[in-house]
Amino acid sequence: MNYAFSFVYIVENLPVLFDGFMVTVRVSVISIAIASLIGIAGAAVRLLKVPVLSQVVGAYVHFIRSTPLLPQIFFIFYGLASVGLPISSFWAGVFALSLWGGAYNVENVRGGFLSISKGLHEAADSLAFGPLHYLWLVAVPLGVRVSLPSMLNTSVSVLKNSAYLQAIGLAELTFVAMDKVSLEFRTLEMFAAIGVMYLVLVLALSIAVRRLENVLQKPFRP
Amino acid sequence: MTASAATAEGAGGRDPIVSLSRVNKWFGDFHAIKGISLQVNQGERVVICGPSGSGKSTLIRCINGLERHQEGDLTVNGTRLDGKSASLNEVRRKVGMVFQHFNLFPHMTVLKNLTVGPTWILGRPREEAKETALAYLRQVRIEDQAYKYPAQLSGGQQQRVAIARALCMKPEVMLFDEPTSALDPEMVKEVLNTMIELAGTGMTMICVTHEMGFAREVADRVVFMDEGKIAEEAVPSEFFSAPKSGRAKAFLDQILVH
Repeated sequence: MNYAFSFVYIVENLPVLFDGFMVTVRVSVISIAIASLIGIAGAAVRLLKVPVLSQVVGAYVHFIRSTPLLPQIFFIFYGLASVGLPISSFWAGVFALSLWGGAYNVENVRGGFLSISKGLHEAADSLAFGPLHYLWLVAVPLGVRVSLPSMLNTSVSVLKNSAYLQAIGLAELTFVAMDKVSLEFRTLEMFAAIGVMYLVLVLALSIAVRRLENVLQKPFRP
Repeated sequence: MTASAATAEGAGGRDPIVSLSRVNKWFGDFHAIKGISLQVNQGERVVICGPSGSGKSTLIRCINGLERHQEGDLTVNGTRLDGKSASLNEVRRKVGMVFQHFNLFPHMTVLKNLTVGPTWILGRPREEAKETALAYLRQVRIEDQAYKYPAQLSGGQQQRVAIARALCMKPEVMLFDEPTSALDPEMVKEVLNTMIELAGTGMTMICVTHEMGFAREVADRVVFMDEGKIAEEAVPSEFFSAPKSGRAKAFLDQILVH
């Protein structure tokens, strides 16, 4: 037990860690955005009970939620390559994380839609709104508000699960740390450093979403 | 008023704007509306009352298709509700509805609540819809609240916004489903006054309400329902002074004498 924790080592390696940090940010931000859109679109398809599509979305959600993320990532990265559709590890990562987060978001947004009172649906009906009017003018703005906290949860998970992408060689934060550790064995320093970095990212994401919630709650305060 | 009620009974050459013929409605095994026939002429004010569970709300909800009747004919403004979405859409454009719980869109300002239907559904230009909306807000005396959100208004104000929202669609018929039942007592009057003024403009109104003062003042006809049927139909003066059915007598005793 005479391991000397070296802050200097962390500082020296900040530039390379920062490269990984930025890859994590990019892959996460794009995936979170796409996953949110998938969530809204998927929940809309289920709300409107679009024939066939609604069942497809149901099966998709069930499949993603019932299988581990890592095999999903491998399936996309190696699977696509093996059928002659090679894809970069970055975009394979975006693909996998978006599909994964999207499945959870479908359920999150669907819950939001279900929370809307029957009375508002009837008011929309009485104004001759069609299903798409109801969706766009009432269900999405109100339902997404309600589901924001659970969508934040899913988004935080997407961000943290981007660490799995080191398994397909994406040079994100965890990959960079592992790489350095395998060369220089400064295990504690590296994992402590990236731990703090993930913490900062999650904190920033949480604050951003809380701010958004705050703005969106304005109409509901007396 | 008695005169217009007389024309209502005697058809007077005009086609009724709302016409129900032997309409039946079931909720599962429960027979909610039992073969009701009712005609309402243009400009007529009809108050529907009766004990709870007598089917009065269900009846007016059938008129704009919020509930689907299973048997009989229901025609509104020349369109027969045949279960197809085209006729449903046609009828809903012509029928305004005011709900017990207001049902304003909470994420929209008052003004947006009033313009969303005309702009999105009727395709009116934004400016025109806004002017119409402000005119109706003036009519219901809450013009100064146009940029507030529903949660910032009192119940009475919200209900007046709801009335204005329905009017912005330029309906031929207005349905009121217990519009004052969810209000604090001191707010009932402002909503009733708005409804009385609306009656003065010649709007066809069908109101489910227990406000017998309102019925006495503006109704051309009172329809008393009991157990899914129309038990009695009369001009207010007759209904209140000399109800024919025992059930109506008992009902009036219940709500008029505390």
